[in-house]
Amino acid sequence: MTNYILKRLGQGLLTVFLTVSTVFILIRMAPGDPAVSYAGPLASNEQLAAVREQFGLDRPVLEQYWIFLQQLFTGNLGQSYSFQAPAMQVVFERMPYTLTLATSAILLTAVVAIPLGVWMSRRPDTGKEFGVNVLTIAGQSMPDFWTGIMLLTGFAVLIPLFPASGFATWGGLVLPTVTIAILQIALISRMVRREMTNNLAAPYLTVARSRGVKNSVLTWRYAMGNSAIPVFTALGTRFAAMLNGVVVVEVVFAWPGVGSLIVRALETRDYPLIQATVLVTALLAVAVQLLIDLAYPLLDPRVRLGKAATA
Amino acid sequence: MSLDTATPAAAQPARQPSPSAVTKADIARAGATRRRKSAQWKLIIGTVCTLLVIIPIILAQVLPLPDANFQDLSARRLPPLTDGHLFGTDQLGRDLLSRVLHGGQVSLTIGLLAVLVSGAIGVILGAAAGYYGGWVDTIVSRLLEAQMSLPLLMMLLLVVALFGPSIPVITFVIAIAQWPEVARLTRSMVLVEREKPYVSAARILGLHKIQILIQHIIPNVIKQATLVVLLLLAQAVLLESALSFLGAGPQRPFATWGRIISDGQDYITTSWWMVTLPGLVIVLMVVGVNLLGDGLRDRPRRKKKGA
Repeated sequence: MTNYILKRLGQGLLTVFLTVSTVFILIRMAPGDPAVSYAGPLASNEQLAAVREQFGLDRPVLEQYWIFLQQLFTGNLGQSYSFQAPAMQVVFERMPYTLTLATSAILLTAVVAIPLGVWMSRRPDTGKEFGVNVLTIAGQSMPDFWTGIMLLTGFAVLIPLFPASGFATWGGLVLPTVTIAILQIALISRMVRREMTNNLAAPYLTVARSRGVKNSVLTWRYAMGNSAIPVFTALGTRFAAMLNGVVVVEVVFAWPGVGSLIVRALETRDYPLIQATVLVTALLAVAVQLLIDLAYPLLDPRVRLGKAATA
Repeated sequence: MSLDTATPAAAQPARQPSPSAVTKADIARAGATRRRKSAQWKLIIGTVCTLLVIIPIILAQVLPLPDANFQDLSARRLPPLTDGHLFGTDQLGRDLLSRVLHGGQVSLTIGLLAVLVSGAIGVILGAAAGYYGGWVDTIVSRLLEAQMSLPLLMMLLLVVALFGPSIPVITFVIAIAQWPEVARLTRSMVLVEREKPYVSAARILGLHKIQILIQHIIPNVIKQATLVVLLLLAQAVLLESALSFLGAGPQRPFATWGRIISDGQDYITTSWWMVTLPGLVIVLMVVGVNLLGDGLRDRPRRKKKGA
């Protein structure tokens, strides 16, 4: 068990390291000069050179990489160019907003998608189910930025129920959460339906039914018990992906999270900020993935960690 | 019974109502019948939705439409159905329908190319990983895992910022985002196929490993892989529109769907159509493709020669 965790941690950290290194190389290959966006378009060549020297951008790339590695191990990735503050601090200030949004979106998704998927799996291909099925397909076919703008216009502008942007009151959380959840509910409920339909048709369920087990127990304990792991994995993976910033939705709703931060950092070529964002989000994503795997034995007592790798 | 089947025509008129307890109503209610019906409906609705969008897009050059980039500042933000502008005009007086159709050509081209590339990469790598196992499998599986923990959209934006928003770059970026799904599926199917007797038979007959893989295994899994590719087309169109919404989409020759929507965003309260209509076109198209993919997947498998 301990060995398993250590091995997974090692793999995870290696992934994170490779990711930040790739990003380091990519942004230095990119056209666009951070000095220009920092000093402004009217700056003289001398001023630009001074800015480059101040940020250490005049040094050879390998030397910059060496400095970056040293910074990586001290956890201080340098000053953000545009925020005039330590880049890690800027990211940590934004992280709670993304965490709040991701958590509320995944909770809403789980609460709606699991019952909906079960409902569909118990009456597959009937008229009603077909209607709901097509609706879920529509849900996964709407571009999230478009859904966001539509909800924004409908419920913040035309009927001013919720604030249009930012996170000043809890009401501001509603529209971005719903925007994300529409897509996720569509995806997860279809997945629950698929898993549950297979499990409900399995022979062990027929045996249980013939022995007089109640329908609700059959559905929720027997079939759901066996669908729990894939469903939980899907929810967890989606959550981990959201921590990387729900970029599009954050931009539409001017949500002060890491997603809109990265878009701004990319526009201004704020190298330390880009690297800090990627580092923090990649670490979090790896941590969440590990937690999902550690939770398997709780959901399914047959799973023994570290020994299950037969596929 | 044997007489019955030998002379069906003669036996037909004299046949009594079936003594079977299974009535027609039962058959209509049965799971398999319902499944076939709903797959059929999905195929029909999917085809209609897809064609409704694709046919005008293909015919965009032929249809009597103003040029998509032609600006007429005297006809700014006209609502739909005025002066021959079916979808109205935008803030620069450009015909919205023409913009949507021409932009759609670009979006669709990118989507189709991206899906072809990701399908090819996915099938090749997935089949190699599943068939050869060993270090090939290790490398491919690690790549698949690594990509799952990457901040995907962030990386895509980065690469587009790096190489510029040209059509080949965006196609490549979407293909990179999508190959894992095909690869994972192909790998798992090849793992099953390679244990089947026909593979051993081919090996005993002295066929080379690559020959077995290409001539015998891949034809057996390609059909299902193609189905996934159809579903990926829907995702590719959505991903492209998200990229172009964030400003990382192609500008030439025509702005694509996401860009058109982000252009109209500032005018949403006064000119609803500039965001709503292009969005509805995307939804219609993607719903159509998704329904088609779903319907094809659920369609009952017919045995060959009507058996």
